[in-house]
Amino acid sequence: MILARFLGPRVWILVAVILAAAVLVPMANLGLPRDHPLHVPSYAVQLWGRFVCYALLALALDLVWGYVGILSLGHGAFFALGGYAMGMYLMRQIGARGGYGNPVLPDFMVSLNWKELPWYWYGFDQFWFACLMVVLVPGLLAFVFGFFAFRSRVTGVYLSIITQAMTYALLLAFFRNDMGFGGNNGLTDFKDILGFPIQAVSTRAALFAASCVALAIGVLLVGWITRSKLGKLMIAVRDAESRTRFIGWRPEYVKLFAFTVSGVMAGVAGALYVPQVGIINPGEFSPLNSIEVVIWAAVGGRGTLIGPVLGALLVNYGKTIFTTVWPETWLFLLGGLFVFVTLLLPRGIVGTIDHGFDAFRATRRARDAEKGEAAGAVPNPAE
Amino acid sequence: MVETKVAGKVAGDVHTLTTPQGSGPGKPVRNAAEAAGPRPVEERSRGPGERAVVEPGPAGPQAESSHREPDVSPHPYAALMRERRLAAEAEGRARRDTLLYLSGVTKSFDGFKAINNLSLVIEKGEMRAIIGPNGAGKTTMMDIITGKTRPDRGEVFFNGDVDLTHHDEAAIASMGIGRKFQKPTVFESHTVEDNIRLSLSGPRSVLEALVHRKDEAERERIEAILETTRLTDKRKTFAANLSHGQKQWLEIGMLLAQDPELLLVDEPVAGMTDAETEETARLLREIAATRSVVVVEHDMSFVRALGVKVTCLHEGSVLSEGSLDKVSNDPKVIEVYLGR
Amino acid sequence: MNRAIPWLLLSLAVLLFGPGPAAAQQAEADPAAIVQKFGGKQSFDATEAVIAELAATGDERVARALRALRDGDLYWRESDEAVFVATRKGGDYEIFDPITGASAGTVPSGDLQKVRVKNSIRNAVTGALGTLTLRADNPAQRMRAASTLFSEADPEMIGPLDAAIAAEEDAAVKARMEEARASAVLASDLPAEDKAAAAKVLAGRADRESLTMLIRFAGATDDPVARQAAEAAIVAIQNNIAFWNQMQNVWYGLSLGSVLLLAAIGLAITFGVMGVINMAHGEMVMLGAYTTFVVQEFIRNNAPGLFEWSLAIALPLAFLVSGAVGLVMERGLIRFLYGRPLETLLATFGVSLILQQAVRTIFGPSNRQVGNPDWMSGAFDVGLMSVTWNRLWIIVFALVVFLALLAVLNRTPLGLQMRAVTQNRRMAAAMGIRTPWVDAMTFALGSGIAGIAGVALSQIDNVSPNLGQSYIIDSFLVVVFGGVGNLWGTLVGAMSLGVVNKFLEPYAGAVLGKIVVLVLIILFIQKRPRGLFAQKGRFVDA
Repeated sequence: MILARFLGPRVWILVAVILAAAVLVPMANLGLPRDHPLHVPSYAVQLWGRFVCYALLALALDLVWGYVGILSLGHGAFFALGGYAMGMYLMRQIGARGGYGNPVLPDFMVSLNWKELPWYWYGFDQFWFACLMVVLVPGLLAFVFGFFAFRSRVTGVYLSIITQAMTYALLLAFFRNDMGFGGNNGLTDFKDILGFPIQAVSTRAALFAASCVALAIGVLLVGWITRSKLGKLMIAVRDAESRTRFIGWRPEYVKLFAFTVSGVMAGVAGALYVPQVGIINPGEFSPLNSIEVVIWAAVGGRGTLIGPVLGALLVNYGKTIFTTVWPETWLFLLGGLFVFVTLLLPRGIVGTIDHGFDAFRATRRARDAEKGEAAGAVPNPAE
Repeated sequence: MVETKVAGKVAGDVHTLTTPQGSGPGKPVRNAAEAAGPRPVEERSRGPGERAVVEPGPAGPQAESSHREPDVSPHPYAALMRERRLAAEAEGRARRDTLLYLSGVTKSFDGFKAINNLSLVIEKGEMRAIIGPNGAGKTTMMDIITGKTRPDRGEVFFNGDVDLTHHDEAAIASMGIGRKFQKPTVFESHTVEDNIRLSLSGPRSVLEALVHRKDEAERERIEAILETTRLTDKRKTFAANLSHGQKQWLEIGMLLAQDPELLLVDEPVAGMTDAETEETARLLREIAATRSVVVVEHDMSFVRALGVKVTCLHEGSVLSEGSLDKVSNDPKVIEVYLGR
Repeated sequence: MNRAIPWLLLSLAVLLFGPGPAAAQQAEADPAAIVQKFGGKQSFDATEAVIAELAATGDERVARALRALRDGDLYWRESDEAVFVATRKGGDYEIFDPITGASAGTVPSGDLQKVRVKNSIRNAVTGALGTLTLRADNPAQRMRAASTLFSEADPEMIGPLDAAIAAEEDAAVKARMEEARASAVLASDLPAEDKAAAAKVLAGRADRESLTMLIRFAGATDDPVARQAAEAAIVAIQNNIAFWNQMQNVWYGLSLGSVLLLAAIGLAITFGVMGVINMAHGEMVMLGAYTTFVVQEFIRNNAPGLFEWSLAIALPLAFLVSGAVGLVMERGLIRFLYGRPLETLLATFGVSLILQQAVRTIFGPSNRQVGNPDWMSGAFDVGLMSVTWNRLWIIVFALVVFLALLAVLNRTPLGLQMRAVTQNRRMAAAMGIRTPWVDAMTFALGSGIAGIAGVALSQIDNVSPNLGQSYIIDSFLVVVFGGVGNLWGTLVGAMSLGVVNKFLEPYAGAVLGKIVVLVLIILFIQKRPRGLFAQKGRFVDA
């Protein structure tokens, strides 16, 4: 809200930083010799590539939570669905190189004694089709789910709980072998993407760059939406939903729009994530994953553009450090983070800084206004 | 309308007393009574005067009845149906000229009748003040008009023939009914200007809002509303930082931006200073020059300042209606509301 | 509160320490020792004496040895005169213990001597078998004998059964004997009319065993009258079995429902009444289960005799542990977040992570063993369905907790204050109620009840740090489905969800059934966002 005026330059700075990373990091990884001080090791490229996908996911959540006030505890579902769509493409790319050497069927289907490819696997050998599904499947789920939920005015914690139930239901469903998505083990052992070997350093660097570009597009998209009149309407819905109704808007459609766009963004994030980690399994649907996304956005500052990006990168970097150094303590820390942020830092890092800045501006403006008021233009009611 | 009902009632009653084959000295009288309502002649000439001629009861129309008899459909059920249709048409005519028409509205919550057989008519261009003790059903009435609550029974019509019970809040708002809540409800994270911009009448589609561009006409309308509500120099202020009174004005400004035909204003001056109250009364009178306004208010001096027709609600129905002097001298009103 | 807790605990203790299993141990002559008297070279008279002695034990386990004797399958080993039941296996004999029937290996045929029999001995055995069990004094024993004979379907026993039926006075035992006779008749070479009548008797019994018996019979017989009767009986039995299958489903459903009720009932207080969304609720349940574990460990190490009482000891402790954690949470965290439900959700989720990890650090990540006391173990049959004691007790327990909670809410000063505070906080405060204290106590009560639920759930579920997570979503759904703020709704919601779940399972499988239920609830919330028993009122959606 406070950002409204400063959104412009800040969006562009953020986008520029992300795009610079998209170019410079792969260059530093591939172009510089190993012993060069600015060389970026390959594992770091892979690591931060994942974090960038998380950042996009957090941004997607921020669009619905920060701007429209819908706390979704099921965004991991959209992420995972996008990931599965990409995973299915990567599975089909394995072809006859799988353990059983079947040119069409993925290994897990052969071991289940399946004879034919299920119909919903058709088309995933084409990259464009997979990309379409990456957008369509999460988008459609978000649309249908949102349509029913928002139309019947399910709000607040009720909505949070049924989004969590949604991802929980999908978790259970994807664990089943006969769903045809690899059951417990999920989809893995990918070989190549668009003909490039998926393990290769250069492919990894390219995926990193692609993730950064996607994030930059995401930031611009969310920036554009939130700066439009629709964005103002979203905040209006967040703060006083019934008021928007009584001036003739339909908040359910506003929410549905945001939820669907957000679902698609999460799906894209998942699709970029899967080739970088090399596996997608039902664990991605677990409610814990979804709720972790919430804390990324909360730490960085919801309702801002930079906040969720920053939060996702920070929290995940912290998680990497802690889980390698003191694995026991990470859940304590994560739990503590939830408590700390909600209790003491409800605006998040970016929000708190902005708020301080805004308070400063407000006092200055009040001082200016005092001078003007001395002239006595309007009867100003006593507070 | 009342007369029609009485006539129908008589017809029905008489019929139940008579066997279809009944004959003898009583018959003509009965026929006359049965004929009283359903006659085609009646339909054309439903003025109260003419009615009076027909109505005078069993004794009067005896002579007439003998020559009218042949036109009459003898079937009592058809007569009853026609009665109902005529009554409905009469009602339709009666409400056609009104802006807001509530008839027999009832709404109960867990057995508690918040609104009990309430009937209320607001004419086009009228300003009406509604008073009444707490729990009289004022807020529930507004909920029903604006579509937030569906009544259990009764009719709510806007502009004569739009049945409001079939529409939701957004649709009703778009038809031109604006509502101000008891507690000022504005978008606190937005500036005053943005609050009004979001309320401006116009397309309400999500995609339009996404690609919407500000233009000169819009700016002028906002300017005008800011002027009316005395908020011009606060246009860049966040609504959260406004004083209570300014929030109330902003909310009224948002209603104006909607360009409604009817404004429902719930306790606009609660918590205001005297100066603010006076200013608000002026604002409402100014608005009422071009639109209909319904104001719910406890502050009697404010109601007096408005100087309009007053309706006093009590336990979900109209207790008294008329000028403020008439209502405030009504013993029933004094009993339940004003106190002795 | 002060008055409520002892009352609650007392009722729980009474509940859990009701009837224990009556130990039916009697001092009896050891049949195994008597059977050994068949060993060695014996006169027929001596053999007959042993038969009489065996019959006198009244122990139906000796029937195995007696039948073997009659059929010429009873042997004694030359080396030590030990007695065995033996069957020929190639050139050797496989030998079995005459009492237990456990295999004792194989021996060459030369090592064994047959216990000699003649017709009078055989008659003595048949008579003994009849009197031994069918004529025993104890009706339960006669009942068991008839049941054994039923599954054996031994035509030789028709005679003794007829005699026993004529003498039997207990109607239930008599019916069972008639069924046993019918099964024997089906296996005999009696005329078809008798078999048709027997099929009718079996149709009356109508369980899976008689079904297989009849199916086998109908396949084997070539008499049309008997087959028709058998087929009619088969249809009747299948219908009966289908009915009991439904009953079993209902039972499983109620059992699951009671588990859901236990898990959700504390939530009905914290979420339903107070409106606080506590994501750490499942962890309160988990703490209760771990309290049970600790209590049992302590008892095992220090006072093994108290093991039967371990659950009763764990109950108040679990209530206190979870209640105390709840109290700390409310005072230290939740009270700062009243009116901000989404923030409460996140913060309590953080607490749930911390509690889980704490338990994982202290007790390890794997499942811990929590034992069932004897009175929680085992099962019994009702009609054709099997009812396990632990499930039964948990249903009873859930209902008692539910009623106790209702009583606390409606009959105690704390309950009154709680309702006052939730309905109109400011007015309650103005009346002199210390609302922060009531908030804290309410939350502690809800948490404590979750702890009690944990004690019960430790009896049927794995006690692991993840115990709570598996219940939290279900619990919320139950509360939301039943209608927030309505305890009866929670009861009906839990039970109906349990039953629907179990009825879906046979058609859709456990996982898919669960998914279907989730989807149904989501759709249901669409239709009635305020649950099954919505509270109505002007201020509900204010």
